[in-house]
Amino acid sequence: MDFLTTIYLFYSFTALYFLILFMLIYFQNKNRFGETWKPEKIYSLGMVVPCYNCEGHIESTIRNLFKSDYSGLKQVVAVDDSSSDNTFNILKKLEKEFKILKVVQTSKNTGCAAGAKNFGSKFIKTELIGFTDDDSYPSPDAMSHMIGYFDDAKTGAVTSRVLAKNKHESLLAFLQAVEYKVIAFTRKLLGFVEAIYVTNGPLSIYRKKIFDEIKGFDEKNWTEDIEITWHFVSKGYKVHMSIPAKIYTIVPIKFKDWFKQRIRWNVGGLQTIRKYFKSVFRCGMLGKFILPYFTFSWILGITGLFILVYRVVRTIIVRYLATKLSIEAQTAIASFNDINLNPNVLLLFGVALLVLSLSFTTLALFYSKEEDFKKRNFIKVLLYMLVYLLVYPAILIASLYNYLKGKQSW
Amino acid sequence: MLKSQKHVFWEALLIAIVVFVFGFLMGFAFESNRIDKLESYYASSEIFMTDGLAFSSLADLEKVDCEKLVSSNLFFADKIYEEAKLLGKYEARELLSEDLKLVHKKYDLLRTFLWMNSMKIQENCPSEDYNIVVYLYEYETEDLAKKATQQVWSKVLGDLKQDVGNRIVLIPLAADIELASLDYLVSQFEIEEYPAVVINGVLVEGGVATVDELKEYLT
Repeated sequence: MDFLTTIYLFYSFTALYFLILFMLIYFQNKNRFGETWKPEKIYSLGMVVPCYNCEGHIESTIRNLFKSDYSGLKQVVAVDDSSSDNTFNILKKLEKEFKILKVVQTSKNTGCAAGAKNFGSKFIKTELIGFTDDDSYPSPDAMSHMIGYFDDAKTGAVTSRVLAKNKHESLLAFLQAVEYKVIAFTRKLLGFVEAIYVTNGPLSIYRKKIFDEIKGFDEKNWTEDIEITWHFVSKGYKVHMSIPAKIYTIVPIKFKDWFKQRIRWNVGGLQTIRKYFKSVFRCGMLGKFILPYFTFSWILGITGLFILVYRVVRTIIVRYLATKLSIEAQTAIASFNDINLNPNVLLLFGVALLVLSLSFTTLALFYSKEEDFKKRNFIKVLLYMLVYLLVYPAILIASLYNYLKGKQSW
Repeated sequence: MLKSQKHVFWEALLIAIVVFVFGFLMGFAFESNRIDKLESYYASSEIFMTDGLAFSSLADLEKVDCEKLVSSNLFFADKIYEEAKLLGKYEARELLSEDLKLVHKKYDLLRTFLWMNSMKIQENCPSEDYNIVVYLYEYETEDLAKKATQQVWSKVLGDLKQDVGNRIVLIPLAADIELASLDYLVSQFEIEEYPAVVINGVLVEGGVATVDELKEYLT
């Protein structure tokens, strides 16, 4: 068996393992998937909304937040991170309308969401503290679905299910909508094994005492939401996710914005890996699963890309030279005889994995029986699996480059 | 409130190992099945070859029907040429075992016999309708230019075979497969680089040729 065949088999096994793992978790917890708990008591909750140059949508964000049916919502702090547009004035106008809304402004732009979030957290005096983005819209019952988890004293954080609000604006937005649903599904599955690795920015709630204990978000990290989750898990606190707690966020519709966002997410991921690397095989599920899973995904993604590029480039060179020579020799460039339909073990594994992945994605899209993904979108789902996901290794390379170059600008 | 289910990691590992081993065994079964098929073809070809050699030896002792000798050799050459194409298709896939390489080597030995026997027949029964085309290539080359050249040579020779198939014995041989008899035969042609094509004992010079150019080498 040659080296590349061994590598392919290793990849097949790894993919098979994770697909089986996720399927098993799902089938063992099918009935608990959308569960929600009525809290034993009403916990006081304070929400922080970091805002930066968002005059176009901040009013609707704030108004939507106040539609929440959670009676324990006692404070809302909107932090204007020294916007250069009209954001602050809009917030000030809203402050007069909503009694529990407090508008504060940083003395200068903090340069990151974490800075504004930490600034706002100082004004929160409640038992729980939540954060939402200036372009995200929680469903009215979202917070109510999340609070019950805090009855468990070991629960440190609870996150929600993010969905794409503008999925019909472009194909890219739709592909992200598919991705968000798959991510939410996978994250919930990881929750059953105490391995949630991120409490998303659009809507997450933390126990304030612990939040203060760990000194809030790491402002040097590009993905403060990943970092804080790992921090909570490393301290032994549980992190949960509520599937019925839905929040709609605006996703990038242009490739450039999407690419930039993904680079930020991945550079942040690398920063977090580096920060917590000493915890490998320690600190509970952080060291035993989350960290190795994250690191391993990176290594596999990048190695896979190199192998793919190596194979594709070699094939192109051979095809190019063969075509040139075929023309000179006046023979057919390709013929029916070139088609090789003989299956082998890798093809078998490939087909099996494709079928399993498709089943998993289908499950992730349709388990909640929501009306937003209909049959006619099947082609787009295939596009997501066969094209969108293939771009990812390239993002990993670009992120690694940015990380190593130390490009830390926002 | 929530009971942890970390045991699922081990369950998944166990299932993944079972599925993987099953798939791996299926892969081996596929390959074994192909090797068995080729082995059975090989056994039949070996009988043909031995028969052909015996027939040629008879030609040394007494006058035999040259037409019959030539047509029998052409039939055998066509048979193992088709088997070579099948073997090539199997080898183009990623393989779990090295067994196909062994089958390839056995076929190359058989084809070396075919080459020797074909030359003998050409000597004993000179005919305008009998040409020996030997295609020598590298089995394990990583050189991309060489791979491309070999692909094109195979096509050109396939075209030639299609065009004048009843007049030629086409023998593809891996020159780097370490067969002493083949190495000796090849050493007579002072070949500097592979792939190379030898038609009726004459080395085709100047890289990949067209079918028409190759026809000029035929009798």
